[in-house]
Amino acid sequence: MLPPAEAESGSGVYNAKLGMWVFLASEVMFFTALIGSYIILRFGNPEQWAQPGQVLNVPVTAVNTFLLICSSVTMVKAFAAAQHGDQRWLRIWLLATTFIGASFVGVQAYEYLQLAHHGFLPSGYREGHELAEAAAQGGAFKGGPALPASVALYGATFFTMTGFHGFHVTMGVICMSFVTWRAFRGAYSAADHRGVEVIGLYWHFVDLVWIILFTIVYLI
Amino acid sequence: MTQAKSHRPNYIGIFVMLALLTLVELGVAFLTVFSKPVLILLLIGLAVWKALLVALYFMHLRFETNRVRILVIAPLPLAVIMVMAVITEYVW
Amino acid sequence: MATTAATFDQATQHAHVDDRSFLRRYIFSTDHKIIGIQFLLMSLLFLTLGGTLAMVMRWQLGFPGQAMPGGGVLPETMAPGGILLPEFYLALVTMHGTFMVFFAIMPLLVGVFANFLIPLKIGAPDMAFPRINMASFWIAVPAGILMLAGFFVEGGHAGAGWTSYAPLSAMPEMSGVSWGQQLWCLSLVILGLGSILGSMNYIATIINMRAPGMTWFRLPLSIWALFITSILVLLAIPILSGAAIMLLFDQTIGTHFFLPAEGGQPLLWQHLFWFFGHPEVYILILPAMGFVSDIIANGSRKPIFGYHSMVFAIIGIGFLGWIVWGHHMFQSGMNPTLGMTFMISTMFIAVPSAIKTFNWMGTMWRGNLQFHVPMLHAIAFVAMFVIGGLSGVFMAATPVDIYIHDTYFIVAHIHYVLFGGSLFALFGAITFWYPKMFGRMMSPFWGKVHFALTFVFYNLTFWPMHEIGLKGHMRRIYDPTQYEFLQPLQPLNRFITIAAFLLFAVQIIFALNFVLSWFFGAKAGRNPWNDTGLEWSTPSPAPHGNFERTPTVYHAPYEFSHPQVTEDYLPQDRPLEGRPASAPAGR
Repeated sequence: MLPPAEAESGSGVYNAKLGMWVFLASEVMFFTALIGSYIILRFGNPEQWAQPGQVLNVPVTAVNTFLLICSSVTMVKAFAAAQHGDQRWLRIWLLATTFIGASFVGVQAYEYLQLAHHGFLPSGYREGHELAEAAAQGGAFKGGPALPASVALYGATFFTMTGFHGFHVTMGVICMSFVTWRAFRGAYSAADHRGVEVIGLYWHFVDLVWIILFTIVYLI
Repeated sequence: MTQAKSHRPNYIGIFVMLALLTLVELGVAFLTVFSKPVLILLLIGLAVWKALLVALYFMHLRFETNRVRILVIAPLPLAVIMVMAVITEYVW
Repeated sequence: MATTAATFDQATQHAHVDDRSFLRRYIFSTDHKIIGIQFLLMSLLFLTLGGTLAMVMRWQLGFPGQAMPGGGVLPETMAPGGILLPEFYLALVTMHGTFMVFFAIMPLLVGVFANFLIPLKIGAPDMAFPRINMASFWIAVPAGILMLAGFFVEGGHAGAGWTSYAPLSAMPEMSGVSWGQQLWCLSLVILGLGSILGSMNYIATIINMRAPGMTWFRLPLSIWALFITSILVLLAIPILSGAAIMLLFDQTIGTHFFLPAEGGQPLLWQHLFWFFGHPEVYILILPAMGFVSDIIANGSRKPIFGYHSMVFAIIGIGFLGWIVWGHHMFQSGMNPTLGMTFMISTMFIAVPSAIKTFNWMGTMWRGNLQFHVPMLHAIAFVAMFVIGGLSGVFMAATPVDIYIHDTYFIVAHIHYVLFGGSLFALFGAITFWYPKMFGRMMSPFWGKVHFALTFVFYNLTFWPMHEIGLKGHMRRIYDPTQYEFLQPLQPLNRFITIAAFLLFAVQIIFALNFVLSWFFGAKAGRNPWNDTGLEWSTPSPAPHGNFERTPTVYHAPYEFSHPQVTEDYLPQDRPLEGRPASAPAGR
């Protein structure tokens, strides 16, 4: 009988990590559909977009962006703690990540409510509200140039892109809570902390998408 | 697994870079008078820089095998092709 | 690197008796084989439904405005007095396409066979993520229910075609359909999630869980095809999901992505849909090509001719499939220069398919041909796919497409590749792997009868569609006789209708063969087809955990009629004495 052949090396990473990277590739395509459509629609109808900061609240969102970046740092610190088998700091960093992530969603929800209140919806201007009135009179909102006559595409793309990002963050927070709970039950060790690494990848991805979104939605 | 993480990045250092780049972005967007195309190029460049930092150091792509990197990069040309092709509906 | 990864994922599971409850074993199973069979039963039901819808459509086309026999059961909103309403006809057209593409062919090719074959043919005990695999199926079920629900809602089901073009699909006030279209969007988004999770599973499994010795170039072509297909699913379906969500928003929350009134772009829908849609059609054919390769090698008792070029052709089709989508849009009003680039890229994509066709023929040449039922279907696949592919070359030429777009010439093409291609391959594949699934053989006699009758009636149904299409018969029209120039074609329309009825009726033979063989078919041994794949080393049906011991792979697939072996096949996991285990790649 011949000896068995060498095991096939495959990708060189364990299944869960490979699976998460593969899944993230599909997520890149999903956001491509949304962000790509935004780029295309804006290219074709640039007059429907207000200047940065006219409609959207850039200062608050900039702080929110900073928060999300912080949560990526706490996440990677949690992973480093897991690598060393440091249970205490693993739990602390994971809790921090969960909490900051939830805050991000909260701030975004607040932002949405503010926008709706001022009169900016996925369908564009909201009849009878501030923004609509200001635009109708050819005026501005927070100083600067006049508002566009219609912001239908602006509203549609803004809410869809940031909304689905927010949905992904929410899913991330739910999974992060589960991983945190598992950490408190001592499920992760220096030898095996796959769960922490895998949720970390998802979390960093969500942060990465936001880095792109913040720039192209709020600053351009 | 430990082999891939033998070089440990300076996470706090990367964090400071990310915070700084965000501030620079805000500055570029509001405080200067670049022409629109240059502005867009600068801002996207800064955003890509930040994204790369997260991907390479937080997601540890810097230390992964080529196979994993290829997997990750694969969707990007498709995204570019789709957007560029449809934009030709407006130009060309 | 290999040992570190394997530390967590080593195949420690082996074949064993599963002693859990009935619910855990057969309903909420994590066993890839059971999940594959679950997809099989679900998809065959939807295939039957899709066929039924087609029969109702064909009645209307063959005998426009006449009351359909049995049509009295349909409600007034669909067919008062058994006479189909135009709106209902459009819903039939839409749902025939939708059910067939998304709930029949795709799950049959991928949900069934990727699930069933991959671990068995690469020597793994199960998928990389068995519980996510289970989730994939149980996500598809509510998606199917939502899609069915559309028939029962106010306004009727979606009626904008399976391609759901905006602005018609985005404007309930124009189409009269609101809930139906929304259910369509929602169902596909949900199904899409299941598909994406599935493809992630298949990719990770194939990359990471191959048995020792199963190098990339020793993988059977069915697995290569399923691997590339899974990559296409992974990257294309999310585009559809995004587009469907935007369409749903246009219908419900007042956005204007695709509505021109406020600057939206109907063409954006078409670009997004077909950017998904073209890889989708390769998703619908590549696995079929893979099964056909396995079956033709088996039926010819010869290795596949040009195995490496087959692999590169599959990869080539996978790559090129991303840059041809505009050929569905030549008549849309898109940028003509962009259209020209699509014409060129589309011409190119014929090449890898042609390579495969010649290789199949080369495999059969001077083979010791066994015309068993799977082989008959596989040979039919090659012939029918060539016809479908050739009509595709006509369409690739934009000036020709200007004339034949949205005619029955296109419908003929679609059905030659999807029915003549994919479905024949599926009949062959189901027959071929039936013993491994159920431990029994399907009746060869009735299999041959079914094949012969299906082949005849299928060609009688779809070949004339080339004819009427060239004479100007448009797609998706309710009553051809209202156009004077189409009236002379009506006899041919009736002919097609009758052939279609016979084609559908004949499928009862397959259905009965499938169901009755399950209980009364001849018991199958481990390797009833004398095949070389790893799955034939397991008992029939394959047990939970698959292999008694992790197999070791010693050679390429398709080692039939090997000069140093007495039998005319050499299984991949049986060594040829005296040869080293790590032989050079490919041999």
